[in-house]
Amino acid sequence: MLKNGVLEFNDGSSASYKIFTSSPTFAKNSDLLIFNSGDIITLKVVNTTSENHGFTIDGVLNLGVISPNDSIQQTFTSPPAGVYRFFDPLNFPYNEYLGLSGVMHIKAVNDVTPYFYWDLREHQLSWNASILLGNSPVLNNYEPFYFTINGNSEPDINLDTIARVIGNVGSEVRVIIVNNGLSIHSMHFHGYHAFLLKNSKNIAHEGREKDTFPVYPKEYVVLSFVPDKPGEYPVHDHNLVAVTGGGIYHAGMFTTLLIAP
Amino acid sequence: MRKILLFFFLFSICNYWSQIDYSKLIIGRNIGTHTFHDGLQTRIFGFTETLSAATKIPGPTIYLNSGDSVKLDFWNMSQGAPHTIHLHGLDVNQQNDGVGMFSFEVMHNEHGFYYFKAPHPGTYLYHCHVGSTIHLQAGMYGLIVVRPADGNSLLNWENGESYDREFPLLASEIDTVWHNDTILDHEHDMTMPLYVPATFNPNYFLINGKSGTQLSDIPNHLFALPNEKIYMRLANIGYYGVRFIFPAILEARTVASDGRPLPLEVVNDTIEVLPGERYETFLQLGTENSYPFIVEHFNLNTQVISSSQTIVIETTFSGVETNEKVPFEIFPNPTNGIFDISEMVTENYQIYSLEGKKLKESMESPVSISDFANGSYLLHYKGKTVFIFKD
Repeated sequence: MLKNGVLEFNDGSSASYKIFTSSPTFAKNSDLLIFNSGDIITLKVVNTTSENHGFTIDGVLNLGVISPNDSIQQTFTSPPAGVYRFFDPLNFPYNEYLGLSGVMHIKAVNDVTPYFYWDLREHQLSWNASILLGNSPVLNNYEPFYFTINGNSEPDINLDTIARVIGNVGSEVRVIIVNNGLSIHSMHFHGYHAFLLKNSKNIAHEGREKDTFPVYPKEYVVLSFVPDKPGEYPVHDHNLVAVTGGGIYHAGMFTTLLIAP
Repeated sequence: MRKILLFFFLFSICNYWSQIDYSKLIIGRNIGTHTFHDGLQTRIFGFTETLSAATKIPGPTIYLNSGDSVKLDFWNMSQGAPHTIHLHGLDVNQQNDGVGMFSFEVMHNEHGFYYFKAPHPGTYLYHCHVGSTIHLQAGMYGLIVVRPADGNSLLNWENGESYDREFPLLASEIDTVWHNDTILDHEHDMTMPLYVPATFNPNYFLINGKSGTQLSDIPNHLFALPNEKIYMRLANIGYYGVRFIFPAILEARTVASDGRPLPLEVVNDTIEVLPGERYETFLQLGTENSYPFIVEHFNLNTQVISSSQTIVIETTFSGVETNEKVPFEIFPNPTNGIFDISEMVTENYQIYSLEGKKLKESMESPVSISDFANGSYLLHYKGKTVFIFKD
C-alpha cells in the first residue's frame, strides 16, 4: 500500500512522509523486497492517498499512473539476481524524496550469504512541507538536517535487524547500500576494508578493496568483507555533518558492526 | 611465589616492548591560530610533535614502514574536551581504533597509547574521534604514509612502481563560524547531547592547510625536477567532495585507493576524492615548465562547486646542478628552520634560492635556515641537490 504518514526523529521533530508498505501501520521506510531468482512475483500497489502516484522498478517494470484509491496489479518473473531500486517516477524527484522509493534484492539461487541493507536518506523538514504544498524546491538550496539509514538515525539504526551488521570472524558479510536520497554519501568502515562487488554508477570500480565508499544519489553498491578480528566498529558517513541529526552529534548516519570471535 | 609472578609480569612487559619497531609522540592541542591567505586568523585545534611546536593544519604526517609494530603515545595537552587518535583505514582492533565509547578517551594531561601493525603501504589518515564533527573541523587531523617494509621512500609498495618524488595533498575546508570559542570549548558529557552549528558553510577551502594565494603564488608551488615521475597522495578529510583536475600532458594514472592497489589502474585526468577517501596517482612531468592543476571543492548536497583553486608543479628553476636520485635525506622537511642531513657532514654544503642565488655555505650541522623567509630552497651537497621547504 502507498501510504501517507509522519516520519518522526529522535529529537521530537517530524516530517510528512509517504511509503510503500504491506504493514498495517506506518513504518519509517518503504518495505525491503527480497525475492529469489526465478520467482514468479505478483505485485499489487494500492494508492491510499488523494493524489496520483506511480510505481516503477528500475529496468524491470512500470505500473503507470495509479489514481487515488485505485490499485494496479502485475505478475512477472523476477529479473536476474541483483539489486533494484523501486520508486514513484511522478513528480521526480520529489515523490521519491518524500519516501516513495525503496530496495528490491533478487537473491541468486543457493546464495546463503548474510546480507544487510542500508537505505540512505537525508531530510530537510522545510522541503517536506513545501513539496506537499505543491512547490518544487531548488536543489541548490538543499541543506538537510537529518540523516537516516532505513528511516532510523543513531542509536536506533542498531535496533534495526535489517541494517545492524552482526557477524563472526571468518564468515563473509555483505552489505547493500542504496542511496535513495539526494546527497552524495561517503560511507567509512572502521576495522575492515571491504571489496566492492557491485557499483551501479561506476562498474569499472568493482573489485576495489576500500574502507570508504562513495554512494551517489539513486545508485547502489554491494560490499563484501570477511571479518578478521572481533569487536564493535563504527560505520558512518565521513561527511561528518551527516553523522549529526537535528544538530546533535552523532545522531545521524552512524551504525556499528558487531563481530563475534 | 610473588617474586616469580613479578618476574613473569616484568618479562612479559619487556618482551612486548621489545617488539615495538617504531614509537612516536603526538600531542593534542586546542590552542592554535591559523592564518588564511587573506590575512584572517582563526583559532584551531590540532596535533603537534613537540610542546613548543606551533599548532598547524594539518598535523604532522606520520611515516611508517609496512609490518612495523607501532606505538603511538598520544599526550592530550588541550585543557579542554578529551581527544583520541582514530587510525583511519589502518584496520586496527577495537581497543586501538580511537573511538572513545568503544575503547578509551584521553583526558587533559593524560597519555593514551595505541599499538598496531603498520598495514599495506599506502596513504591513510588519523584524526580525533571525540565530537569528531567539531574536532575535525577544528583541525585535528593528519596523514599517515606507510612505506614498503624496507622504508623505501621512492617505491609505492613491494614489487610496485617507483617514482622520483611524492606530493601528499590533504583536502579540507573551514567554516570560521565553527571556530568560535563557544563551539570549540564545548562541554563534554557523553550522557548529554553535543550540538553542532545548524549550518556548515565553509568560507575557506584548504589543501595541506593552505588556500588561495598560499597555493598559487611562488614560492608556494610544488617544486620538482624536469622529467620526474611524481606520486600524488590525494586525500580528503573535509565534509565536501574534492576533484583534482590535472592537465592531460601529465598523463595522470591512478593506481591505488584507501591503501590498496587498484585491480586496474585508471587513466583519467580528474580524480574525485570524497570525504575519508585517498587515491594515489602518478604524474609524468616534462621539460622545464609550470604545470598548474585545479582543485575543486563541491557541496555534497547540491553538487555545486564552491571553490576552484590552482596549484602549480614547477620545474622552471635553472643554474643549479641536479640529480635524479638523492643519496641522502634531510629531516624534518618541511622544516621550521633547523634540520639535519642524514649523513656525516664532511664538506661544505650550499643553500640556494630557487633562482640559483647562493644564500649560505657552511659545514655546520644541524643546518639552520631560521633567518630565511618561509618558502622553498635548494640544498647542494656532494654534487647532489635536494629541495628544502621552510614553513
